[in-house]
Amino acid sequence: MALVELRGVSKSFRKGDETITPLDDIDLDIEAGEFVSLMGPSGTGKSTLLNLVSGIDQPDSGTITVDGTEVTKLSRSKLADWRAANLGYIFQTHNLIPVLTAYENIELPTLLLKLSSSQRRQRVELAMEAVGLSDRADHYPRQLSGGQEQRVGIARAIVAHPKVVVADEPTGSLDTETSEQVQVLLQRLNKELDITLLMVTHDTDAAKIASRQLVLDRGKFIESQTVVA
Amino acid sequence: MFTYVLKTLWRHHTRTLLTVTGAAVAMFVFCFVGSVQEGLHRLTTGSDADRSLIVFQENRFCPTSSRLPEDYSRKIQEIPGVRDVMPIQVWTNNCRASLDIVVFNGADPQQIQKTRPIKLTSGNWQQFASQRDAAIVGRNVARRRGLKTGDQFSIGDLSVKVAGVFESTVPSEENLIYTSLAFLQYTRGLDAAGLVTQHEVMLTDDADPDAVATAIDAKLRAGSVATKTRRKGAFQASTLSDLVDLIGFAHWLGYACVGLVLSLVATTTVMSVQDRIKEYAVLQTIGVRPMRAMRLVLAESTILCLVGGGVGTALALAALGIGGFAIGAEGATIAFRPSLGLAVSGAIVSLIVGFAAGLAPAIQAATVPIVNALREA
Repeated sequence: MALVELRGVSKSFRKGDETITPLDDIDLDIEAGEFVSLMGPSGTGKSTLLNLVSGIDQPDSGTITVDGTEVTKLSRSKLADWRAANLGYIFQTHNLIPVLTAYENIELPTLLLKLSSSQRRQRVELAMEAVGLSDRADHYPRQLSGGQEQRVGIARAIVAHPKVVVADEPTGSLDTETSEQVQVLLQRLNKELDITLLMVTHDTDAAKIASRQLVLDRGKFIESQTVVA
Repeated sequence: MFTYVLKTLWRHHTRTLLTVTGAAVAMFVFCFVGSVQEGLHRLTTGSDADRSLIVFQENRFCPTSSRLPEDYSRKIQEIPGVRDVMPIQVWTNNCRASLDIVVFNGADPQQIQKTRPIKLTSGNWQQFASQRDAAIVGRNVARRRGLKTGDQFSIGDLSVKVAGVFESTVPSEENLIYTSLAFLQYTRGLDAAGLVTQHEVMLTDDADPDAVATAIDAKLRAGSVATKTRRKGAFQASTLSDLVDLIGFAHWLGYACVGLVLSLVATTTVMSVQDRIKEYAVLQTIGVRPMRAMRLVLAESTILCLVGGGVGTALALAALGIGGFAIGAEGATIAFRPSLGLAVSGAIVSLIVGFAAGLAPAIQAATVPIVNALREA
């Protein structure tokens, strides 16, 4: 059984008189430890798919199962608990909490888990080390560069040891050099820490670092390519 | 997560400071209004309000217009249910409502010491009893007028030597100055030899106050001056009737203050949540439950209110304690005193208002459509 399973997932919404269907009866399996990139033109439902897997949006029909839990059946409150324990989310615009330091931002998801303070500290330090930001613990987001902010965002996404990490255009707001550094980091996290990743991107170079590349258009997958390591 | 709430408040420190200041001012006024109402309540429902009677000249109001024979006390003493009678000559600098009313009560020094709930904090009873123009001064009057033992104090035609300063468990007592009865009767301009303003009647434990009051008026009807006898509480409420109406109206001012705090804190919290709606969406994306998001907002508004309310209440209590404020009319005074009740009601009101002010924005933060909020710039 795949770690992430989507079966017959459809999502549509109305825009004026028009009904837009970004996802139309989609099936998808993602295995544990896999790194999947998702590409496609704007408005084709890439982010919608990511949001559905994250449980922050609900499909019109179909089921989404992550590690045996059918997330489409969970209440809003239960979904929050599920996300805290099982899902990491990397945003395009980092979305760090401006009043918290890098350390506190990364620590935030661990506060939602039943961990002792020493366990929390250990996890935060490991996550900071993994993204190479141990020397920026006391810095506030405004004191960090875009790349550093994104690395804090990545550390925040992995600190709770989630089963799946989703990334919504994680390099979309970064310059080329920083973007490459983040790509390398994501690839390393996938390979070294065996983190399952689902990444939406517009950048073909970024997509190539994934072990499987999917292309979505008009609500359907039109292309799938698996890279043999 | 509490750190997050505190840091969020600190991030907008100007807005936080203004809100806290507004809440503090409103709660300051709320406590002041509350202390006036407590003062009136104490005056009209205190322990001696029902167990003492005041015999006053019928159809007279200001102390200067009530002139009763001093020897009425002997006749009153004969009535069953009467434990003691104290003839009192009252002099006041102002019969109308005033914030700096000075009221002299002239009575037998030994009776004063025996019947009044007062304790000298300086000076001595012996000097008060033996020196003709000696006076003992209530703590509040002493504070307002800057008087201490040994000072000479003059007002109008009266000039007294301060033989002591007293405190009392009955706040209104602390706004009085006691002299001997004879001194006040023979003061220039009063022309009150053998006359007094009122008789204060202390009742036995089993006496029915209204029955005794009726008996007193009936017995004295045959005398030279008709009397009207009431319970002390009722007498004081009647004396202060104009002020009672005003004070009754002032409680609306108290409610207005509560409304002001509510709208102020609610506005700040709504603005704060709307500014950070994306932040709440991010928090829920990483796993913060909607109820927890709600509690974060409620904590924010409650902290604002508790800090503002706490500061306002503390300042009001300090001002009431230091200022020795009182309002009076026709010889009766209402003392404004700090009290534990005021402190507790200030804290409870702050807590409830803080919670209520945060409710709507808290629901907004908890029910934010996550995907839409994340799309916001």
